[in-house]
This record gives sequence, C-alpha cells and structure tokens, in this order.
Amino acid sequence: MTDKPKVGVYICHCGINISSTVDVEAVEEFALKLPSVKVARTYSYMCSDPGQALIKEDIKEQGLNRIVVASCSPRMHEPTFRKAIQEAGLNPYFLEMANIREQCSWVHEETEEATAKAKKLITASVAKVRLLEALEAKEVDAEPAALVIGAGIAGIQAALDIADAGFKTYLVEKTPSVGGRMAQLDKTFPTLDCSACILTPKMVDCASHPNIELLSYSEVEEIGGYIGNFDVKVRKKARYVDFDKCTGCGECAAECRVANRIPNEFDQGMGKRSAIYLPFPQAVPAKYTIDPENCLYLSKGKCGKSPKCQDVCGAEAINFEQEDEIVEFKVGAIIVATGFDPFDASRKPEYGYDDYPNVITGMEMERLVSASGPTGGKVMISNGEEEIEPKEIAFIKCVGSRDESVGNEYCSRVCCMYTAKQAHLIRDKLPDANIRIYYMDVRAFGKGYEEFYDRVRRENVRYIRGNPSEIFKRGNKLVVKAENTLTSTPVEDEVDMVVLGVGLEPRAEMRKVMDLLRLSQSPDKFFLEAHPKLRPVDTATDGVFLAGCCQGPKDIPDTVAQAKGAASSALIPLARGKVTIDAQVAEVNEATCRGCGFCVEICPYTAIEMTTVNRFGHEVEVARVNEALCKGCGSCSAACLSDSIQPKSFRDRQILPQIAALGVLK
Amino acid sequence: MSANNEPNIVAFLCNWCSYAGADLAGTSRVHYPSNVQVIRVMCTGRVNPLYVMNALQQGADGVLVSGCHPGDCHYMEGNYYARRRLGMLKDLMEFVGVDPRRFHMSWVSASEGHKWKEVVEKTVEDAREAGSFEGFRRRQIDW
Amino acid sequence: MDLEKLRETAAEVVAREDVKYLIGWKNGSYGYRVAPAFIEDAEGAAELIFSPLCISNLSTYLTLVEKLPLPRGQEPDTRKIALMVKGCDSRAVTQLLVEKGIERDGVVVIGCPCPGMIDYDLLAEKYPETEGLSEVKWTDDGFLVIRDGEETNVTRDELLAEKCRLCRYPNPLISDIMLGEPVETWEPAEDKGVEEVDKKDVNGRWAYWEEQFSNCIRCYSCRNVCPLCYCQDCILDRLNPTWVNRAVNFSENTAFNIARAFHLAGRCIECGECERVCPANIPLGRLNRKMAREVRDKYGFEPGLDPEAEPFQASYKPDDPEDFIL
Ligand SMILES: Cc1cc2nc3c(=O)[nH]c(=O)nc-3n(C[C@H](O)[C@H](O)[C@H](O)COP(=O)(O)OP(=O)(O)OC[C@H]3O[C@@H](n4cnc5c(N)ncnc54)[C@H](O)[C@@H]3O)c2cc1C
Ligand code: SF4
Ligand code: SF4
Ligand code: SF4
Repeated sequence: MTDKPKVGVYICHCGINISSTVDVEAVEEFALKLPSVKVARTYSYMCSDPGQALIKEDIKEQGLNRIVVASCSPRMHEPTFRKAIQEAGLNPYFLEMANIREQCSWVHEETEEATAKAKKLITASVAKVRLLEALEAKEVDAEPAALVIGAGIAGIQAALDIADAGFKTYLVEKTPSVGGRMAQLDKTFPTLDCSACILTPKMVDCASHPNIELLSYSEVEEIGGYIGNFDVKVRKKARYVDFDKCTGCGECAAECRVANRIPNEFDQGMGKRSAIYLPFPQAVPAKYTIDPENCLYLSKGKCGKSPKCQDVCGAEAINFEQEDEIVEFKVGAIIVATGFDPFDASRKPEYGYDDYPNVITGMEMERLVSASGPTGGKVMISNGEEEIEPKEIAFIKCVGSRDESVGNEYCSRVCCMYTAKQAHLIRDKLPDANIRIYYMDVRAFGKGYEEFYDRVRRENVRYIRGNPSEIFKRGNKLVVKAENTLTSTPVEDEVDMVVLGVGLEPRAEMRKVMDLLRLSQSPDKFFLEAHPKLRPVDTATDGVFLAGCCQGPKDIPDTVAQAKGAASSALIPLARGKVTIDAQVAEVNEATCRGCGFCVEICPYTAIEMTTVNRFGHEVEVARVNEALCKGCGSCSAACLSDSIQPKSFRDRQILPQIAALGVLK
Repeated sequence: MSANNEPNIVAFLCNWCSYAGADLAGTSRVHYPSNVQVIRVMCTGRVNPLYVMNALQQGADGVLVSGCHPGDCHYMEGNYYARRRLGMLKDLMEFVGVDPRRFHMSWVSASEGHKWKEVVEKTVEDAREAGSFEGFRRRQIDW
Repeated sequence: MDLEKLRETAAEVVAREDVKYLIGWKNGSYGYRVAPAFIEDAEGAAELIFSPLCISNLSTYLTLVEKLPLPRGQEPDTRKIALMVKGCDSRAVTQLLVEKGIERDGVVVIGCPCPGMIDYDLLAEKYPETEGLSEVKWTDDGFLVIRDGEETNVTRDELLAEKCRLCRYPNPLISDIMLGEPVETWEPAEDKGVEEVDKKDVNGRWAYWEEQFSNCIRCYSCRNVCPLCYCQDCILDRLNPTWVNRAVNFSENTAFNIARAFHLAGRCIECGECERVCPANIPLGRLNRKMAREVRDKYGFEPGLDPEAEPFQASYKPDDPEDFIL
C-alpha cells in the first residue's frame, strides 16, 4: 500500500464500438503522460482472455500496482477485471474503470469531442486509482439455524423446507396453534380440496420434525445481530397448563365454569369456547391453553370453591403459577411469515355489518359452511328475528379493496375466487337458493381460476356488475341498493343474507416485527420487498426474507411458492456456513469523531452505534460501524461535519482528486 | 470553459439509478453533449454538498447531482437526505451570488435514458448561459 | 436583574460539590469591556455582573475545555460546569445537547432573561471608550450609559444590537435555575441585512460577497468563537483531503465561508458571535440568518429549541421541498 503507485491504463477498442468514435491511440499517448502512469495500452477486447492476460502480464512484469480499464460501464465488467487483477496477485480493489463506451463513444458523434472526453474520464480515474486502498471482503461464520416468524401455511412450509434440508429451525407462532388463516378455511379454490385435509398433515409434520423447534403461543421479543448471526429472544407465554402433562383430552374445557360462553376466535366469534381451550379440534400442538382474561380464577382470583379444570384434570396439568418463559438462541437467517388480517367490515358502515346479523364477512362464511364450524356446516342465519335458511343470498366483492376511501388502493387477489368458491359451496348445500354476486371486475388470473369461475356461473350464480352503495333493512329482509352498471339501471334487491367479500390487510400488530427487524412498508402497508421484481422475497435487511401474505395479498399456491423461495434464499447462508461481508463499507476515524451521532440517525441500516472509548483517560463517545450491516451507501459521510466517517473506496480523499482532475483539463 | 467556449460540467451520479440510466442512454445510442463528466458514487446520499462548491472552485462551470426518484433509492433513504442537503446548498449558493443555473439536481431512473439526455442538455445549456466561472477558480489545482 | 441575587445564587452553585466552576460575565479592565469569568468560590461570585454589555455567548467554553491526557490511574473530573445564558445562548446549549457535544447532567444552566444587548461598535462610536471602567444599565425604555461618573440616557433603538432587534427568544429556553422574571418579548424587526443582499440580482450578490470575502484574513475567529463549531479537528484545517487551501485569496476565502455557513445551516442559533468577532467586519450573520430563514420557512425547522429534536442535517421529511429538482 505504501508502494508508490504504478498505474497501468488499458484502453479497449470494444471491436469498433469505442474505437470508431474515440481515437484510442491518441488517448493511449495522452495517458502515458499522466502522473504515475507507467503503462498504457489499447486492445480490441480488453475483457477477452487475451485482453485480461495483457493486464496480468504487465502487473507481473512491470510491477504495476494500480489498474485503470477504460472500456464499458463498471456496472458491466467491474467484477471481471477485479477478478483478473486478483489473479495476477493484486488486491481486487486496486481497480478503477473509465466508462468510455456507454457514457462516451455511444453517446457522442464527433471523434474530437469523444476523444477529449475519454481523456478526461481517464484522468479522473487515474487520479482516484492512485489513492485507492487495499480491501478485503471478510467472511464470518453463519449460525446453521433459521427462525421463522408466524406459522400459517407460509411459515409452516418454509420451516419444513429448511428443516428437511437439515437445519435447525425455530418456528414461532403467536397463537396457541399453528395453521394460520388457512386452518379456518373450508374448501379451497379452485380445486375444492378440503383445507384441513391438506393442511393438517403439514401442521403435524412441523410439530414432530426433529429439526423444528415449535414455539407456539410465543412472540419474538428482541432480535440483534446481522445475517449469519442473529441473536433472538422469544417470550413463551404462560399457558397455565403443563405442556408435557396435558394429554389434550379436553375434560377441563367441558367442565370449565364459563364453558361455551366465550366467543371463539377461530370461528370468527360465531361459535363459543371455554376459558381453557383448544382453538380448534385439529390444533397443533394439541395442548390446552387458559385464556387469562376470561378465566375466573386468573382474572378474579376465584373460580367457585376451586377451579373446575384443576378438579377434573386427571393429568394434573393445570398450573396457575406458571410464568412466561424467555428462550434465547442464535440463527443465521430469518423468515417473516406473519400473514394478514381480513379487512374490518365495520369500516364500511354503509354495509351495516355492525347493525345486521345477516350481513357477514367472507371469513365468517368460511366457518359457516365448514362441517367443523359453529353450525356444523348448515347454512343458517338470524335475520334479527329468527334463525332461517337463507333463500336470497348476495355477495359483495372488493369490500375494503380497490377502495381509496378506506386507504386501500390495491386488489386483494383472493376475494374474486373465494366468493366464487363460497357461492359454489352454498349452491351445493342450498340448491334452490338465489345467489348473486355484486362485482366491479372479475379477476380470475390463476391456474384453473377462469375455468372455475365459468363453472360457478353455470351453476346459476348471477354476476351483477355494480358496487352497492348501501344496505338497509326492510321488514325482515335486507335491501341491497346498487346500480347495475352494465344496464345502467338502479337495483333494490331484497335478500336474506349478505356476504361481504372482505379484502386482506396487513396484520394490525406488524409494527413490532417491523421495528425488530428494521423492515419497511410499501405504500399498501404490507412489508416491502428488496426489489418488486427481482428480489421479491428479500428485504432490505440482509438475511431476512418474506413469505406469504405479510408481503402482499396472495392465494395459497402463491403463498407456498413464496415460502419455498424464502426457504431456499435463507438456506444460502446456512448451507455455505459463511456470509461474505462487503469490503466497501464505512469506517470511522475515532480520533476525530466528535460523537454527535448524526451518522447514527442517518444510517438506513442501523449499522452505526455509539460506543464509549477511552481517549487519554477521558471517556468519549464515538461512532462505530458494524461492517456486517453497512452497505456502503455513504449517506452517513456526507452529513459528518468532521469527515470522520467515510465509505472505503469512496472517501473524500479519493473523490476530491477526481473532481480536481476533471477541472485541470479543459 | 474550454477553448471552444464550452462549459465544463461535473456530474455526480448514483450507481443504481442515474448511472444506470446514463448507461442505458448509451446502449440506446441517445446522443447528447459531451461536456458532462460523470463521477460515480454509490448513492446521492454520499454527495457531500461541499463537493459542488469544490467542483466549481476546481474548474467546473456547472454541477449536476442525479439519483433515484424519491422512494426508489437502493438504500431506501439516501436520496431524501441528498435532497434536503443539496436544497439547502442551492439556497446558500444563490445567496452568495452563485448563478443558480450552475447547479442542478435531478431524479433519473435506470430506465430513463431519454430523461438523462434532457437533463444533460438542460444542465449544459444553463451553464453555458451562466458563462465561465473563472471568478471563483482555485489558483492552483493539484491532484 | 438583581445583582445581589445573581451573586448569591452563583455562590451557592459553586459551593456545590458536584460543580467544578461557573462561567459568567465580569467587568473587564477598562472602558466597556466585559470579560468571561470562571468562578470557583464565593469571592469570585461577587464579581459577576449581568448588563447590556454581556453580549458574548459563553456556551462556547463548554466545548472549548481541553481534555488533556490524564496520567494513568487518574480519574477525569466529571463535575458539572455551571453556565450563565441569555435566550440566544440557551439555544446553543440545547443544540449542543442535540448534537451530544455536552451532556444534560454535565451542566447547570443559569438562565438570565435578556432585555437586549448593546452593539459595542455603535456605543463606542457615540460615546467613546474611556480609560476608566464604564457601565451600561437597562432602563425602562433604553439604556443608561455611565462614563467617568457621567450618566447619559439613551433610547433602546439607538444602541440595541442587530441580533437583539431580530431576537425571538430573549428568555432562556432551557435552564436549571432562572434568575428573575421572564422579560416581555418584542416584535422582531425586519432583517434588513439579509434583505439588502436578497434584493440584489445574482451578480450583485456575488459582487457584494466578493468584496466582503476578499477582506477575510482567515483568522478563523468566527469558527473558534462559534459554540457549535466544536469539532476537535475541523475539516477546513485539513490537508488530506484539502477542502480549502491555506492560501488567503478570494477563491479560498469564499470556499471557506461557504463551507462554514453550510455546516451551520439548520444548526446556527443566531447568537451573532461570528460577526461580532470578525476583525474584517464581514457580515457573517447575514449568511447564517439567511440559511436559518430558509430552514425555518421551507422545512419548518428551528434549531436549539428542543433537545430531543432530530438534527436537521441528519434527517429528512418525505415531503421536503423539491421544486429545485429538474
Ligand atoms: C375468506 C378467505 C378465503 C380464502 N380462501 C382461499 C382459497 O380457497 N384458496 C386459496 O388459495 N387461498 C384462499 N385464501 C387466502 C389464504 O387464506 C392465504 O393465502 C393464506 O392463508 C396465507 O397464509 P400466510 O401463512 O401467509 O398467513 P396467515 O394464514 O395469516 O398466517 C400467519 C400466521 O402468523 C402468525 N403471526 C402473526 N403475527 C405473528 C407474530 N408477530 N409472531 C408470531 N406469529 C405471528 C399468525 O397467528 C398466523 O398463524 C382465502 C382468504 C380469505 C380471507
Ligand atoms: S457523524 Fe461523524 S462526528 Fe458525528 S458521530 Fe458520526 S462519525 Fe462521529
Ligand atoms: S455507508 Fe450507509 S450503510 Fe454504511 S454506515 Fe454509512 S449510512 Fe450506514
Ligand atoms: S472571523 Fe472574519 S476574517 Fe476571521 S476567518 Fe472568519 S470571516 Fe474571516
């Protein structure tokens, strides 16, 4: 490094792409006269093997220690030439490229001007290359384990794939059971497989997989570190039931003093459960949980003479003394699969969801048609006066989607199809019912979807184009008010039941996960991927990936596909066992840092922390960069008033001479 | 300004959007004036506003900083920081009497080869109108 | 302000075990001179004054204290420093807190509500300095100048310092101890200085500053007096890289002054010290105030008001102005 710079300048003809506009010989002659330049050559294709060999030979024979390649864009061939000079024994970062093709020969017509510009660009490159420093891309070990947050179908699938590849996987689920929303569905479009039948085996697999540690009824509390080395802290909430002793027999729930009085979340509140409960019969793990808010003993301190559940539990599993437990572990990669919330229909008050019992959401419909649902699969509904079997049924699509008034401009992608599915399921159960679907558009884009939609239409389901403006009550009927936009006729449609095709929204509590992992939201408020097209499962935080509906609405096939994608991305650092840390990161000069923390505020990757150092007996705060988190953007350095933080290869002392070099030559 | 009375422009381009956009102009063979010299940085957030002053002092008649559109920054926020800092610098320089036509900032995405050409043309045109900035030149420029 | 009360309070403060010394103002040796006082005991406290001559901003001493290397084993003295502040000075303290230049529990801030300070140059011009010590006091509607026992009443308008005419925060915004009652704030005057430059065309402004900056002797007093220029190693002193050459000429002077003003944008709290100390009488305050005005009008930000604020230069808002972008 302390060697005097000996620069070689290599000017590429690029066939005639460069040389037809730039006088490469003149440039070569010019380059030879620049300070520190020992060698200048032109060649037809610098990137070809013989071209690279030319550079390598000169490095060895002429003792060159800095290389300027004047050719195409560095975005094209920088890696190529870095590798070449490394093979010749030079540090790969002792390279600077002058872009005389894309930004010179291809955009300027006159030889004179193009040649003059090429000379300038090369001068600037020589100015910078002399001052470049040797850098080394570091490798750190990666912890061979993964964390998956959320055990819906996305999380389950991702965890299974990683575990099958042979890596320890921690699967953290907030609720007492894995399964997520899919467990609540009855049948799934377009193939009409029973959701439970295809999901339950996977749920069981993930609980019994030797490589999966399932942490149900748990939440992630803290995440520190970086790709390859995340430190995770999880809170296992107290179930008040001894996990190992509980046999899942359910005696307790049957005897509970508040049995069948608490709205069951799994049935969207339509069914009832006890204070000690299993969310649904196929729940995994099949262990009971006491809900402390509704348990008489835990909320009031008293449950009759003695808690009923305790009395009846033969396994003596009830333990009111149980406390939350903190589990800590390390992982190399993280997958976020926290799913979605159905749109809250109360936010469209014109549809009367809060007012009429026979206005229900699509999610509730899933439970209503389910054989394991609150009505045992019978479609019965209260019209406010009595339970009836509805005859006139209306669906309304796009509730809470494509609707600026509620702040959701996006399409939820599943409502078209699940409405069609539900119409079909009702048709099965109530052959004489009159079913109509109010819609804006029908988007049946998936495999087999258009076919399924056609089939449903043939089953005497009427599609009416129009977005209802209001639902009100007339006698014991509901009136759907709309305009049929195809015929331009107003409609007042009397029905017994309305199903709102509610859309998908980000989880209400996603903020916490966002902060833990430094994730961002896209304008639709779902988690933001690193690139909408080319990096759809990555996030801006290295080593953190997205799967399923937390990234945006999607159906089950897409969810599973993304989960598998996220799993394979997460497996890269685990399988390699190492992660490479970019060398072009920021560095702090601790001697001049004034400890203001501007850089800390700025860094979008929270790569900078203040630390206390001892300066001749005085404790002072200075900034320190975590190289594993830094991406080398340099935003910190432009704000540092004392120039104490600088990105390597783009330091002020490397850029200012570049500026000067451009100015000298006029 | 050079002998042929052409303004000398230094442009700082972020690697991911504007530099790629300028490359695209090349691949699309879009022609534009040759008096813009590009210095590549990873992000507009890297551009210390004093670079602009420094370039003007060391021979530039005009300076351009270009990056990703708001919301598109490869590093999420760098261009927002750049916008604030360079906006302030522009105000300061105007107050000091530096012709505002000497400094521009633009958002050019990787797909906006044509916009790049327009931005260059505008920058060159403006600098040409503002004239040579000899008045502010450093006496001796070393590199 | 009641001087007895000030001295009593100061004596109490310096008597505290956790206080190292107190920085305040005392009379200088002749004429209108006022000197900074570093007080360690009751005797020193008896010398303290607070008068229309106490224009200097003492908060700069907080970061000027040199942290000399300590012999091994010796603990650093981490006792608090007590400091007298006017309204403007208090904003410097707050800004220093924002920038972590000082710690909140490292200082005892003694607030002095300020009715407005005197412009030394105007004063000396009208009432030349004498060898003996002179005094200036506040009266209901101006100042009382006492030279060699001779008393003259002067209106406020006649002698008020420019920064005080423009002042919007005469009462300290941060303090541990407040001396006396808050003063009534006044309608800030129009910033004629900034406007004078603003209304010139761009070439006129360049010509104006060319004349000013050509006078700069690069003594760096402006930087050294500034409470917010507290980098131990200022980039403008560095040679690698060289932002500004050491040569004293118009080009380098201009670069220096642009860099200084830029570094203070969104940070300057308008205490006016740079301009006051400049031996070349360069109206540096105009540069700083222009930036402060832009930052306030366009970005809705004022430095030195809230110790919890995000530093302006290290933050952004998605809707920051961008009308200047092509
Ligand atoms: C009414 C309706 C019907 C549908 N019908 C079909 C259909 O027929 N066919 C089809 O393909 N798709 C259908 N879908 C879509 C389908 O439900 C989704 O594609 C699928 O459920 C998405 O799975 P997921 O794992 O991404 O999210 P979820 O199922 O929401 O799972 C997320 C999991 O993460 C947990 N979690 C959340 N936050 C945390 C946290 N902070 N810590 C730990 N755990 C957390 C949750 O408790 C949950 O278990 C339907 C959707 C709706 C609304
Ligand atoms: S911005 Fe600069 S001076 Fe401030 S803490 Fe960061 S490195 Fe240190
Ligand atoms: S270079 Fe960018 S990523 Fe690295 S520390 Fe600075 S702001 Fe953070
Ligand atoms: S105090 Fe005045 S003369 Fe001295 S460096 Fe500052 S501007 Fe120049």
